[in-house]
Amino acid sequence: MNELGPIFRALTRNKLGALLIAFQIGLTLAIVTNAAFIIQERASDIARPSGLDEENTAIFITTLFDSKVDQRQLFRDDLEALRSIPGVLAAAPTQSVPISGSGWGGSIYNDPGKPSNEAINFGNFMVDEQGLEAFGLELNAGRNFRADEIQVRSLDETPVPTVLIVSQALADELFPDSGALGQTVWGEPNGGEPMEIIGIYDHMQNAWPHSDNVNKTALMPNIGMFGGTMMYVVRTEPGQLEPVMKAAEEYLSENRSRIVEVVRSYEEQKKHTYSRDIAMVKLLTAVITVLTGVTGLGIVGLAWFSVTQRRKQIGTRRALGATRFDIVRYFMLENMLITGLGLAIGMAGALGLNWFLDTHYEVGRVPLWYLPLGMLGLWLLGQLAVLLPARRAANIPPAMATRSI
Amino acid sequence: MFNYYLRLAMASIRRTPVLSVLMVLALGLGIGAFMTTFTVYYLMSGDPIPHKSHMLYAVQLDNWDPNDPPTESAKDLQPQITYRDGQYLMNSAAPAIRQAHIYATGAIVVPDTDEPPFDESIRATYHTFFEMFDVPFLYGQPWDRRDDEDHAAVAVIGRELNDRLFDGANSVGQSIRLDDKFVQIVGVLDDWQPTPRFYHVDAGGQFADTEQIYLPFNWAIDQKLLPRGNTNCWKPIDESLPLFEGFLQSECVWNQFWAELETPQQAAAYKDFLDNYVRDQKAIGRFERPLNTFISNVPEWLEVNEVVTDDNRVLVRLSFLFLLVCVLNTVGLLLAKFLGKSGEVALRRAMGASRGAIFSQNLVEVGVIGVLGGLAGAGLAWLGLQAVENLYRGYQHLVHLDPMMLTTAIGLATLSAILAGLYPVWRVSRLAPAGLLKTQ
Repeated sequence: MNELGPIFRALTRNKLGALLIAFQIGLTLAIVTNAAFIIQERASDIARPSGLDEENTAIFITTLFDSKVDQRQLFRDDLEALRSIPGVLAAAPTQSVPISGSGWGGSIYNDPGKPSNEAINFGNFMVDEQGLEAFGLELNAGRNFRADEIQVRSLDETPVPTVLIVSQALADELFPDSGALGQTVWGEPNGGEPMEIIGIYDHMQNAWPHSDNVNKTALMPNIGMFGGTMMYVVRTEPGQLEPVMKAAEEYLSENRSRIVEVVRSYEEQKKHTYSRDIAMVKLLTAVITVLTGVTGLGIVGLAWFSVTQRRKQIGTRRALGATRFDIVRYFMLENMLITGLGLAIGMAGALGLNWFLDTHYEVGRVPLWYLPLGMLGLWLLGQLAVLLPARRAANIPPAMATRSI
Repeated sequence: MFNYYLRLAMASIRRTPVLSVLMVLALGLGIGAFMTTFTVYYLMSGDPIPHKSHMLYAVQLDNWDPNDPPTESAKDLQPQITYRDGQYLMNSAAPAIRQAHIYATGAIVVPDTDEPPFDESIRATYHTFFEMFDVPFLYGQPWDRRDDEDHAAVAVIGRELNDRLFDGANSVGQSIRLDDKFVQIVGVLDDWQPTPRFYHVDAGGQFADTEQIYLPFNWAIDQKLLPRGNTNCWKPIDESLPLFEGFLQSECVWNQFWAELETPQQAAAYKDFLDNYVRDQKAIGRFERPLNTFISNVPEWLEVNEVVTDDNRVLVRLSFLFLLVCVLNTVGLLLAKFLGKSGEVALRRAMGASRGAIFSQNLVEVGVIGVLGGLAGAGLAWLGLQAVENLYRGYQHLVHLDPMMLTTAIGLATLSAILAGLYPVWRVSRLAPAGLLKTQ
């Protein structure tokens, strides 16, 4: 370690060069920690479970354009046909699926006297008695809908449902102190539309991934006939998704009074909805990769050059008895000094940049443990980058000391 | 002299190929990343209708839940209005040059050929829409006031749809089938794609295609064509009416409303008119919140709706810092390289080259590296924009590398390189020749 003195003095002969790399490493640390933090935030958003059996679920949207067709009967025929496809576990009509960006929001009251701003907002999914099974939800308590409870809702008839099944999160919000099962809730302020909670399922997200009430959802015993749009969610046995999707699309396309607009696996749908977040993750990952690459290559380039410049001195040191290892160690220590300075600058830079991004764009605060991790990573990068030029330096023969040019 | 310096520069670049490639690569990557994010940002914040953007105003009325927190700015308000308010304003004597009540819908187009039916997005609006937004016509013209009043079954279609259904021929007078109804074509649009699509900037629709079918608002409502796009309600719909009728009469917001106002005086008078309307409605029990009406011209409207997202801004900031890293990297490499040339410089100085000559000669070399970096950067930006187009949905009108951007990329790279090289070049031109020559 007594070499540090000479290394440091040698560095001061090219202060600016050393400072430049230090600054570069500092900025790299600032960008990498902030970008990594944003990536982590988005990725954990995307990874949240929707509640569905994601790998084995598909959605189908068709639009009927002939008003002479009996839509109620077509729903019956479709469901019968879809359910009879080999490999199908359950199929249900719905007007939305979780994390699709498009759906119905509703509000309910746990007390008939509450004003409208105290309503609890939730994602509303209209399904029949196979809805629970098709979404792949597990009942924590209570029962499923019975077939005779399912009613058609259309532009002309709007029967009010009398029962509903809620997610555990919605149940806890409605009745934090007592069990929600069997309780009455109201669809309107002032005691309108009373409904009984007949079941509670563990978890399902609503249609909007970035909403505050993303975990509060409920199933309503309805078949929605609003315009010609008819949507189905189908859950299959493991591994059967592809053939089922193909067979279902074939069946749905047979009817010439409608078009099949969407045939999509649930995983595809999720990617679709999260496309902005996925784009952010990919772009920032590219930034981190290329940035560390540039910085790493920069260090290699400079060290390589400095080895070339110092061939004679290195030869002299070798001639005076320095081992190869001593030479390698010299360059590694030199890099460590520069990187250390850079990381100190970078620590302040990372926090400053995060403060800026959070104040202006609400990206959130980087947890402090990101810093030591990023510093360790860049320190390793520096050491690795300098290793190759250092080994080249170690191979300079002592005889170099006696040569000129 | 310049040619000679250029040859020297090329020779010098070839002498240290690794270092030169690293410099060009670093500059190129920095420029490429920054130009990619900046192009997206620049195009997103573009003015979709430059000659009129300050005369077109989006209308917001505050019909929301009286129990909700108070409204402080246009951002707190719903970006759309109710059907009934829009219809009232449209038929009122509002002091505007033109107004347009608009909603987004869709239907299935059933061609009378063998071609399979397909879905099309539709814009239901009034005849004023076309003149107000300067929509170019290829054939025919908009429908007129009478058609609006008569709930006429007429349509204006886009050029793309006209190409698809009629091979681009003048289709005015022909009929097309939407679901199971027929409408008669009165006009065909020329290419028209305002970016952003300011008249309806729903989440996801900011950069969407313009519609290929335009229908009279009243006819679309008669046919119960349902809105596509956000519909927001705070108050339950009247259950005693059939759902669609109840929906029309409800406090749900799903309509866009625009007014054309030429002068600030007109804008003020129009806002007064809106305020008075809301006051009248308060008297019959609607609009229970404090009086809040907003009119925003196009640039303000794009701001209110955050068309340029925070993600875009974060990416521009981060890629600028990235470019800074690349420039620092290049300065470091240039410094090393030029100090390594000390011997050659000393020799040239000893042979009579002035400091100025050394300075310009090396600056030319730096410039060459800059131009090469800029070319690499433009190429990478082009690739980057392709990637962005693939990553985001609905960016296809947005993302293109125009000549202006290309020139900027190369200019920026050359400038960065020269800035990066200024100090190293100055250092090397200040070297005293004698000492260096001696050690050799």
